[in-house]
Amino acid sequence: MPTLVRDLEIVPDAWTLVASGAVPAPVPARAILPFEEWRERRAVLPVGRTGTWVEGDVEAEAVGPHAANLPLIAVHFPAFADGRGLSLGALLRTRYGFDGELRAYGDILPDLAQYLHRSGFDAFVLADRRSAEVAIASVGSITDHYQASVRQPVPAFRRR
Amino acid sequence: MGAASGLQVYRYEEFDQRFIDERVAQYREQTQRYLAGELTDDQFLQLRLRNGLYIQRLAPMLRIAVPYGTLSSEQLRALAEISRRYDKGYGHLTTRQNVQINWPALEVVPDILADLAKVRMHCIQTSGSCIRNVTTDQFAGVAADERVDARPYCEIVRQWSTQHPEFDWLPRKFKMAFNGAAADRAAIHVHDIGIRVDRTGDEVVFDFLVGGGLGRTPAIGSVIRTGLPERHLLTYLEAIMRVYNRYGRRDNKYKARIKILVRAMTPEVFRDRVDAEWEHLKDGPSTLTPEEIDRVVRCFEPPAYPRREDQAALLAERRLASPRFNAWMRNNVAAHKVPGYAVVTLSTKLTGVPPGDVSDVQMDAVADWADRFGFGELRIGHEQNFVLPDVPQEHLFELWERADAQGLASANLGLLTDIVCCPGGDYCSLANAKSIPVAEAIQREFDDYDYLHDLGPIELNISGCMNACGHHHVGHIGILGVDKKGAEFYQIALGGHAGEDASLGKILGPSFSRDEVTGVIGKILTVYVDERIEAEPFLHCVRRIGIAPFKERVYANAG
Repeated sequence: MPTLVRDLEIVPDAWTLVASGAVPAPVPARAILPFEEWRERRAVLPVGRTGTWVEGDVEAEAVGPHAANLPLIAVHFPAFADGRGLSLGALLRTRYGFDGELRAYGDILPDLAQYLHRSGFDAFVLADRRSAEVAIASVGSITDHYQASVRQPVPAFRRR
Repeated sequence: MGAASGLQVYRYEEFDQRFIDERVAQYREQTQRYLAGELTDDQFLQLRLRNGLYIQRLAPMLRIAVPYGTLSSEQLRALAEISRRYDKGYGHLTTRQNVQINWPALEVVPDILADLAKVRMHCIQTSGSCIRNVTTDQFAGVAADERVDARPYCEIVRQWSTQHPEFDWLPRKFKMAFNGAAADRAAIHVHDIGIRVDRTGDEVVFDFLVGGGLGRTPAIGSVIRTGLPERHLLTYLEAIMRVYNRYGRRDNKYKARIKILVRAMTPEVFRDRVDAEWEHLKDGPSTLTPEEIDRVVRCFEPPAYPRREDQAALLAERRLASPRFNAWMRNNVAAHKVPGYAVVTLSTKLTGVPPGDVSDVQMDAVADWADRFGFGELRIGHEQNFVLPDVPQEHLFELWERADAQGLASANLGLLTDIVCCPGGDYCSLANAKSIPVAEAIQREFDDYDYLHDLGPIELNISGCMNACGHHHVGHIGILGVDKKGAEFYQIALGGHAGEDASLGKILGPSFSRDEVTGVIGKILTVYVDERIEAEPFLHCVRRIGIAPFKERVYANAG
């Protein structure tokens, strides 16, 4: 069963992902809408109550300006080896100041968790509980890295 | 001379050691999950590749990182020991200055990594779609024509690229090279990013070439930035990598390298994209501090060379007495920037031995010579040879005798038989054709040193497939293995070159069977000898007369 990890803990998922072309009316609370459909409806949705999902190759420039009005952005990873979502996440956090829940879902290998965590994702959906536990452990498997990241904006060489 | 004084390698601190130790534990846990059936083959593939482990035709192959080709005698001895304990007692020097062992069992790779970590070595990012080992001039720090020693900058980039949070899952593999000398021995024109290092006044500056590469679509890199001050190195690289990670193609692995993106966007648009991205990153926390640059530069400071005199008279006498020593001096010994010293290349290109293959005994011997005839440091060049950077001239003859006894003194450096060759179909599952037997046949046919010296510098490169690990596009003579209805054939190109005036070889015409290759090379050489003007080198001759005269001779009787 898909298992949500938020802030490195397994938690129940209160949100519902809505597929393209399947947005119910009225939009229920805590729905994650496809980005285009969220954008079309944003004037009539209660402020800060509906999330959106995007593919990893969406332009950060398209989503970023809406960051302040979004409580949750979910980034879909079509394949775990597709690193576009990592750059998107880093841009949403650092350039657009997004401070809501940044969630990765799709083909999330537990070993990707350390990269997600460091690129600004605070939530990821794993295939099952065991994978979720491995993902949490993997984030802590390296104490410190050389370069700066969203999580640690000061590179190691400035902290020596 | 002892190993303790003036060893020019990056000195690990607690931080560096902890990182590689934890990386070993991380990989051990990944291997255990795979063996327990928790990871599929495809999932584990991506994880093991990021640790240098390929599953090859005959067995796994482990690629060990030798950052920018520099290692200590202690590290080379450890490699010899690893090759004995876990392998069949030999290793392979690669064209990216790394070392491969060919028979490690998947289950024991974590133990090999643990042994490597004890001598500050690892296999991190030696394969997979990530930033690979950064390479440079194998003569860095000692070459007489050097402007700036690029090794500290290679090390800074190695650290920055190690498990980068954003750039470890790229569209495709990513290779960078630095060159800080007048001659380009690092092939910066045919790398994803090639960086030319120079000095203006007191400041070190970089020129960036992007989108060069070999493989299926060979390309010469485009200059997108010149004179970038050193403090901006990492932020500018981040900007390039971010543009590539976001926009590089992922739908077709053959179109996923950055060269395809640069070509599709045009170099000008690509440059503008990078500049726009860099505006946000410039002067941020990843900007290098003078203290950090200084810390790394100090690791590579020249040793305190004991004063020595040039030994012209002694060497002249020895050379006169021994024609073989004379040939070795002429080809394998280069000028050192300090009087009384020389830079020696120990060739692995002995006929009958696959180019780049070295035994454990040879590795131990080279390590001993690095201590005895230097400061305990040595290099691996991208031509798959060892380099001893600091040999006192008075010891050259003694070193030559020892190297000769170990089969490491072939005096063919830069000559036709100093062949650069990938492992090919004998070992590699990607290869279309074998490459090692072709190299050996050529070495056997052209074994007359007088003839080879008369021919002068000729770079011959062989790749067993279009992935071009043997860099055939930039060989003066480039040989590519192709598959023709299940049979192995070889396409031959002329006029490639990887230096500052880089060019890609032009294909002669239809490919040849393996039996024909040596004869074709012979015909090509005859045309050159007939056509050359005085001492005109092969490459210049090909550039002047074009490939038509060669084509004519080679296909003359083909009907």
